Amino acid sequence: MTLFSLARKNIKGNFNNYFVYFVTLVFSMVIYYTFTSLQYSEKIQESIELSDTMSFMFGVSSIILILFVAIFILYSNSFFTRKRKKEVGLYAILGLRKKTIAKMLFYENLIMGIIAIVIGIILGTLLSKLFAMILIKLMGSIAEVDFGISILAITQTVIVFMVIILFTSVQGYRLIYRFTLIELFYDEKKGEQIPKVSLITAVIGVIFLVVSYWLILKPFPDEFTTEYLIKNYGIAFVALVIGTHLFFRSVTVYLLRLSQKNKSRYYRGTRIIETSRLLFRIRGNARTFTVIALLSAATICFLGATYSGYYSNEKRAKEVVPFSYSHLSKGPEFDSQVESIIKADHRHPIKAQLDIPVIQVKGILSFQLDYDINPVKLISESTFNKVANALNKDETVSLSGNQAAVIQPRFTEYTKSVFKGENITIQLHQGSNELPFVHMVESNVLPFDYPDFFLVVSNEMFAEIAKKEAPLTYKVYEVENEVTAQATSKKVNKLVGNDFQVSSSFYTEYKQGKEGNAITLFIFGFLGLVFLAATGSIIYFKQLTEANEAKGHYEILRKIGVNKKDIRKSIKRQSLFVFGLPLTIGILHSCVALYFTSNFISNLIGINLIFPILMAIVFFVIIYAVYYVLTVNTYNRIVNK
Amino acid sequence: MKTIVEAKQIKKVYGAKGNVFSALEDIDLTVMEGEFVGIMGPSGAGKSTLLNILATIDEPTAGDIVVDGINLTKMNEEQLSAFRRDKLGFLFQDYNLLDTLTVKENIILPLALAKLNVEELERRADEVADKFGIRDILNKYPYQISGGQKQRTAASRAIISKPNLILADEPTGALDSKSATDLLESLKDLNEQDKATILMVTHDAYAASYCNRVLFIKDGKIFTELVKGKRSRKEFFNKVLDVLSALGGGANDVI
Ligand SMILES: Nc1ncnc2c1ncn2[C@@H]1O[C@H](COP(=O)(O)OP(=O)(O)O)[C@@H](O)[C@H]1O
Ligand SMILES: [Mg+2]
Repeated sequence: MTLFSLARKNIKGNFNNYFVYFVTLVFSMVIYYTFTSLQYSEKIQESIELSDTMSFMFGVSSIILILFVAIFILYSNSFFTRKRKKEVGLYAILGLRKKTIAKMLFYENLIMGIIAIVIGIILGTLLSKLFAMILIKLMGSIAEVDFGISILAITQTVIVFMVIILFTSVQGYRLIYRFTLIELFYDEKKGEQIPKVSLITAVIGVIFLVVSYWLILKPFPDEFTTEYLIKNYGIAFVALVIGTHLFFRSVTVYLLRLSQKNKSRYYRGTRIIETSRLLFRIRGNARTFTVIALLSAATICFLGATYSGYYSNEKRAKEVVPFSYSHLSKGPEFDSQVESIIKADHRHPIKAQLDIPVIQVKGILSFQLDYDINPVKLISESTFNKVANALNKDETVSLSGNQAAVIQPRFTEYTKSVFKGENITIQLHQGSNELPFVHMVESNVLPFDYPDFFLVVSNEMFAEIAKKEAPLTYKVYEVENEVTAQATSKKVNKLVGNDFQVSSSFYTEYKQGKEGNAITLFIFGFLGLVFLAATGSIIYFKQLTEANEAKGHYEILRKIGVNKKDIRKSIKRQSLFVFGLPLTIGILHSCVALYFTSNFISNLIGINLIFPILMAIVFFVIIYAVYYVLTVNTYNRIVNK
Repeated sequence: MKTIVEAKQIKKVYGAKGNVFSALEDIDLTVMEGEFVGIMGPSGAGKSTLLNILATIDEPTAGDIVVDGINLTKMNEEQLSAFRRDKLGFLFQDYNLLDTLTVKENIILPLALAKLNVEELERRADEVADKFGIRDILNKYPYQISGGQKQRTAASRAIISKPNLILADEPTGALDSKSATDLLESLKDLNEQDKATILMVTHDAYAASYCNRVLFIKDGKIFTELVKGKRSRKEFFNKVLDVLSALGGGANDVI
């Protein structure tokens, strides 16, 4: 019998033992392959070439993903090996040569890896199509993301996994040389050491975390090179990983030791069991906590970014086109034609309908402003307040005499202080008027049209100027549920033509923005879901193996009279710690990362992203809670049947 | 004197239709308060099965068991757990210590589970640790101590809640003769001084000679019974050996 066939027989004979490991391999492969085939799809390649941030994002995600699959596979491999030490020892006792055993383990791992690669790629191809379809549905986008079979993606997946598999195979080869026979036989008996509380590790961990946060939150440099990105955020990432690990190692020990100090609490009920168990497995726990915290952070970041994209698009569209429909009045006949189209749409009834008189004049500022303000558009105080009311905004102005309020020009970041104490001289056919600035407001009235310089003046002033310069009248409509008003918007656009630089209907602007972002959102969403699945499966897998190891433990407890209900409670409490601690740190990490990105995005589009980020966190916590319940139930079923 | 264990017509059948195996057949057993009873028999005779049933870890197929006036067959899981915790103490061949707890934590576990207050708990821990001579190792972990020390830890845990009945399944099985003797002496002291009721399964005649009475089981049935009476331990030991050789089979492996 050749070695090769012995290895093959081995796998066939103990397929159950190999199954968990094998599933892990395939699962990682599917995730990685789906990601790479996405990366190599035409559409995405285009956008990668176009945008630096995009290619940076892909680069980082790709590294995180490789790290994740590598850790995942190595982790389950070491568990798998541990289970088989006895078997290996037995071969040696039976007289197989070390070299023969080593080779056998090597081939065995290699065969499994190769089969997993093949299955992974086939499943990946099928699943990625499904995945793409689901996401496109969710995004409500017509942008096609082509998920063809990509040779490049296959090659890359095969290379990455061959490296990992070769590594684990060599580990397998070395197993018999690394341990003495006695160690192979008595692996489980070897006690893990209870770690000491180490202040130094804790301090070093915190320092790493601080450095990492500092690097992430540092403002952007003027020049934004790839080298800078890799250096700055690469170091930040490594520091984050190390810091998190050290933090968990020392802090969990510290917390658990602290809870042991209070004897009357510690020596009460099953707490003594949970605490000591967690403490005993601190090394393994710290590693798992780190992985879960980082994965959670990544998940929240990606989900947060996706939702922010959605959210900011709607906000942005609302800013650019404040009303559902707006048009310049072109006589009663034309106006009533538009009105009847809008009124005919019963699914989107009108909430508010306004006339907005606007006077266009030439103005000269009392100071230098790098914005072309002419023609200046004047509206009256009462118009502004009516608009605010119609759009459900609380921003109102009250002016008197020749006071004026400026509406912040869109896509600029001028603040109140820029206009403070200054004035504007508006030139009319007869004479001119000097208007001091007393306010700056942010609610917009009409669709964007460059130059976007609106002034709100008092009602008396407006009436006075109107006598000299005839105002134009704009008609605006706000309807219910404007995000779905597709058909009517189309008709209105066609009839109205180009009154503004942007579309005259909100829906069109909203839809265009959504499509422009579709790919970015798609990727964020995809990565978010991948990491969500990864987080869940890591925890689940980890707790499952832990439960199998703990069977004997709970058996003893039952023998000395702990009832099933109490064991269940004890499992719940223990799992709560295992889930809660890394979640807390993960949320913290993600807040830092999202703070950085949202600052970045907010600056670009002027939108506060606290709300979507909070929503993403809430969403994640809910899913995470579902994992928790599932895990507790499975754990309980294993040890407490 | 009070009756602690009253078992009647216990049957235990393993397996499903077609392939049934009867591990215990109509066993009757009575143990009075303060007795130290041994159960002997060849390997596979059903000793552990009997003990596990009395310990409520296993259920009999038929029969009635009353321990300290409580009928075991009528209790649900929760009541059984509470019963085990409050009334029974256990000693197993493989110690059954939790390796994540220190010796002291292992010992006080039953009291912690019963939510006793800390002062009382510490006091009792010291008391039993002294009794079994393991005060020095209280802060060690099970993997750091010897088999004899482990078994004395397990014994301390078994008696700390002052159980009405101590059940031991081959407690000396994995110990060297010195550690075995130490443990047996401690159990004897416990029996004589604290009036503890002990039921011990063993296939070692030397261990059995520490008992007041020994039951012999063969093929799931009671074979005979020996009472120590006024005999010395040496004489009792020889008597036990006689019965074992009459029992045949397993007798060879105990000499
Ligand atoms: N769970 C089980 N299923 C089937 N047979 C069992 C089971 N447990 C014990 N037995 C059988 O019952 C008999 C008695 O076992 P046991 O009480 O362990 O014997 P011992 O006297 O050596 O302690 C043995 O023949 C054993 O094979
Ligand atoms: Mg037995």
